[in-house]
Amino acid sequence: MSELRTGEKISLLNGGFVTIKKELGRGGQGIVYLVDLNGQPKALKWYHNMPDVSFYNNLANNVMNGAPSSAFLWPERISERQKGSFGYVMALRPQNYFEFGNFLLAKKSFKSFQAMMAAAMKICNGFMMLHRFGYSYQDLNDGNFFIDPDTGDVLICDNDNVMPQGEKSGIMGKARYMAPEIVAGGIPDKYSDRFSLSVILFMLFYANHPFEGAKVVACPCMTEAYEKKFYGSEAVFIYDPNNKTNLPVRGIHQNVIRRWPVMPAELRDTFIREFSPEMLKNPQSRMIEQNWGKLIASLRDKLVICPHCGEETFIDEAKPQCMNCGRDVDVRRRLKLGLRTLLLTNGTRLFIDYDNTPDARVAVNPQDRNMLLLQNLTKEKWTAETPSGKVKSVEPNEFMPVKHGIKVGFNAANKGEIIINNQ
Amino acid sequence: MSLLDETVSVPRRTMTLFFMIDTSGSMAGSKIGAVNDAVVNVLPMLDEISVTNPDAEIKVAALEFSTGCNWLYNEPKLANEFVWQDVQANGLTSLGAACEELENKLSRSKGFMQSASGSFAPAIILLSDGAPTDNYEAGLAKLKANNWFKSAIKVAIAIGDDADKEVLAKFTGTNEAVFTVHNIDALKQIIRVVAVTSSQIGSKSSTAGDTTKQDQVISEVQNAVDNIDGAEVATKVDGSSYSDDWD
Ligand SMILES: [Zn+2]
Repeated sequence: MSELRTGEKISLLNGGFVTIKKELGRGGQGIVYLVDLNGQPKALKWYHNMPDVSFYNNLANNVMNGAPSSAFLWPERISERQKGSFGYVMALRPQNYFEFGNFLLAKKSFKSFQAMMAAAMKICNGFMMLHRFGYSYQDLNDGNFFIDPDTGDVLICDNDNVMPQGEKSGIMGKARYMAPEIVAGGIPDKYSDRFSLSVILFMLFYANHPFEGAKVVACPCMTEAYEKKFYGSEAVFIYDPNNKTNLPVRGIHQNVIRRWPVMPAELRDTFIREFSPEMLKNPQSRMIEQNWGKLIASLRDKLVICPHCGEETFIDEAKPQCMNCGRDVDVRRRLKLGLRTLLLTNGTRLFIDYDNTPDARVAVNPQDRNMLLLQNLTKEKWTAETPSGKVKSVEPNEFMPVKHGIKVGFNAANKGEIIINNQ
Repeated sequence: MSLLDETVSVPRRTMTLFFMIDTSGSMAGSKIGAVNDAVVNVLPMLDEISVTNPDAEIKVAALEFSTGCNWLYNEPKLANEFVWQDVQANGLTSLGAACEELENKLSRSKGFMQSASGSFAPAIILLSDGAPTDNYEAGLAKLKANNWFKSAIKVAIAIGDDADKEVLAKFTGTNEAVFTVHNIDALKQIIRVVAVTSSQIGSKSSTAGDTTKQDQVISEVQNAVDNIDGAEVATKVDGSSYSDDWD
């Protein structure tokens, strides 16, 4: 085991060095130090023992290729091999990010559904970029995700085990988060990552595990052999419509029992499909990240502020009621954006693109309480065209009226039209 | 009030960490002092692993054995509620009786393993500096037939050369899980390493693949032992006799 002292200098591959400031934490694999790199504070993960050459080379490669997206706290520099081990440099994790486990333990909770949706979108996008780079994420578990509860921004850590698909790092994820075929001993790839992604998203939305219901609770001792069954060969989704042996248990799986019926139907349908026995057995038919992204965007389009109680609610268009106060919500005002329909109520924020930053805010006209306005929260000006053909520009921070038939160009890629039903 | 404000913690399983401590006469003095000191200091670390763990909470139980045997509490306690009363050393080494007593408690209906949302297999740490003075084989045979014991993480710490490592290996099922210490400082360190490692691994959902939790604990403790002066794995491979022939 190799430990470093304050003031020690560690030379980096391709030149330069970091200076050890203090220990930040330690785990099974290594110790994380606060270090100084050319005056910048950084983190250094230093391995207890010298990992093998292929591990070192893989990590050096990952450093060279750079982070797939801003969701990753990616290795920035790798040290030379020295003092019986080596390490890698990464950015420090900001204070306002908390382990996903803290959310599961209800020590932290999302400030809003908007933040929850942002987290889901960011994770999805991170996985999409990871796969685009040809990697797979091998040791996925609740300790790898850090989330800002206010904004939903996500940082995925422990990326030293990220490997090109088809290769095995030897450090395996927790059975609870792994695809059945990996629990059975397979090598992780993008298909198994997609399963893990759906588990993480389910837990993010419903705060319980998709395969832990009555059947699993009944097991007095969760031995490794049983874990292989419950998360592998005999996994049963808790809301499998054709197999009710593993339903959630009142008093134990409270969150999912409370949230399952009130969250949007398309989310329910997606999980029922993704966790069906057929999909568990056919990794290649699992939903791709891009479609998860579309689904999350569509959920977000129906997430509005209830005009009665002021809370956020998802709207089921067949029955537009607030999921908190139960009162009817007026969602006649909409923005059509290609195939999407964004519902407009006072206070609701709109996400036109997928970058997790609100692009517009709905407000009420102080002169006419019946008229809603749209505020431009972007840095670009919008171009609006009225039904009579007048063209107006809406500068950043300026407002435009929500009137039937107005066409809005948000940017080159996104053009929408305001629709008010029953007019 | 938003739905999000109603969120409660996910259900957690329970992982019980058992200490089985030899308090026979030969342990008197610095050995038992070191055990008392080490356990007191490791409890807060176990508490920290427990409170931040979404898979399971950790409880602690301790059985001391000498001429007879005795539980420090009559149920497993959360680490932060476990007030360690220093154990005293005198009398014989009734390992067989201790095995039988542990077997009794490794049961859901009549023992310690009750938990509404289930358990993970326990982790059991046996510490001894001598050889059993009773008919340990009968007690151990009963224990080995117990399903909780079968799937438990089992580690033994042999204190000094008088400890009967063969017996300890029979208990753990492999001599790789028997760690020998030769001085007081090493004893304290190994108790910490073994308790923390087996709690960390035992209280988490297992990893996908073929490595068992017991194997993971053994390999992590072995890594740590290499850096503890005066601690060793029972079967250290000796390559020295080959060095000339194979250069
Ligand atoms: Zn409401």
